[in-house]
Amino acid sequence: MPEAAAKTKADYWMADLSQAVDCTVMARGVEVVYEMGSEKIHALQGVDAQIFTGEYISIMGPSGSGKTTFFNVVGGLMKPSAGSVYIDEIDIAQLDAGELAWLRCRKIGYIFQSYNIVKVMTALENVMLPMLFAGVPQDEAQNRAVEILTRVGLGDRFLHTPKELSGGQQQRVAIARAFANKPAIILADEPTANLDLHTGEEIIALMKEMNREEGVTVICSTHDHKMLDISDRIMWMEDGRVKKLARRDEVDIKIDEFEEENKA
Amino acid sequence: MALSSLKLRMGRTLLTLLTVAACCAFLLFLLTAPISDDPAERQMWGLMITLSLLVSVAGVLNTMLMSVTQRYREIGTIKCLGALDSFVMLSVMLESALLGLTGAVFGIIGGLVLSTLVGLLEAGAGVFAAAYWTGLWWKVIVAALVGLGLTTLGAAFPAAVAARMPPVEAMRGEK
Ligand SMILES: Nc1ncnc2c1ncn2[C@@H]1O[C@H](COP(=O)(O)OP(=O)(O)O)[C@@H](O)[C@H]1O
Ligand SMILES: [Mg+2]
Repeated sequence: MPEAAAKTKADYWMADLSQAVDCTVMARGVEVVYEMGSEKIHALQGVDAQIFTGEYISIMGPSGSGKTTFFNVVGGLMKPSAGSVYIDEIDIAQLDAGELAWLRCRKIGYIFQSYNIVKVMTALENVMLPMLFAGVPQDEAQNRAVEILTRVGLGDRFLHTPKELSGGQQQRVAIARAFANKPAIILADEPTANLDLHTGEEIIALMKEMNREEGVTVICSTHDHKMLDISDRIMWMEDGRVKKLARRDEVDIKIDEFEEENKA
Repeated sequence: MALSSLKLRMGRTLLTLLTVAACCAFLLFLLTAPISDDPAERQMWGLMITLSLLVSVAGVLNTMLMSVTQRYREIGTIKCLGALDSFVMLSVMLESALLGLTGAVFGIIGGLVLSTLVGLLEAGAGVFAAAYWTGLWWKVIVAALVGLGLTTLGAAFPAAVAARMPPVEAMRGEK
């Protein structure tokens, strides 16, 4: 990580690029334009970002600033209108449908705002699903699912379906499912938005623990400034651009300042 | 709200099941019952069969399309977890085949009952003679295959819609 007292974004990139740090995700000049009839919405207007292996990065920004769109592009769910995204140095625009499915299955774990647990399946089956897609044998997948569900604190809820679980518990299932195939990257798009504050903090703490234990890169968007404490770096977005990207210790005193600035 | 939509879906599935069953029953009845040689009458039966086939296919199409569009986010999620398009397609086809098979079973039972009743009226106790039922096996098989074929035909388009659905749908919106 750059130690130089980089101030401007340009300085940052220069510093980043001069370091031989492992980079899980690299976005270069990413633009996304949604076409709604004759209207064009520029959701991302040239996003550059380097995300390092094993770090926990929080993405902040007002609603509509392009966080979800950024996730979609990084997660290989959507092709950018311009620019490119590299995951482990592979330009994902070059991948065909089957390779993209492989990437989504093995390399990326998705955690959604509304949990997205498959309704007709039990917690155990939900966690086994990505492993079965990856070709893991049934009994091995089941063992791993039991192990990881126990890890996220649902050791007694294997056979419950989502409607028998609270929001926080469903999100724990989703976390277990996202980590099932030992991915390189976890993409969590406002995972706490539908949860109360306390449960939200528990979920974030769990993601942080998993990030440390498994060495997985976590990219998590959130509105909540309290979540910043556990992040390694924080990226602020605004109007489809990266407004600021800084290490946690560099923004320590500046959070209040930043909030003031944002109110204005 | 979820419950009422489930009820709605159940109702629609049941209705489709019924049309598939009716179609199979009708077909089996025509295959087993003695039909007259009158060309006009034959033509009428042919028309009715074609119509009932069309209604069934349309019913299956509607039901499966609803089933797919109601599960957009779920399908998107499954794709995010690594499901291939072919898997999504297959699972929709399988769901529909199950519908078809169930419909065919009920239809065949219904058709046999109908044939027996009509046979009783026309041939009296003769209906219970083995000769009356010659070639019953292949007739049952034809009816079952038609039932399965109907649902496969009706499910092809919804299955393609599901398979081509982009995984971004999983990211969409709150509830
Ligand atoms: N599918 C879409 N079609 C058209 N416009 C969209 C679509 N998704 C997002 N947008 C627009 O793109 C911009 C960024 O949205 P989004 O990435 O969802 O931001 P965030 O997640 O930060 O709230 C917004 O102006 C939004 O209205
Ligand atoms: Mg969003």
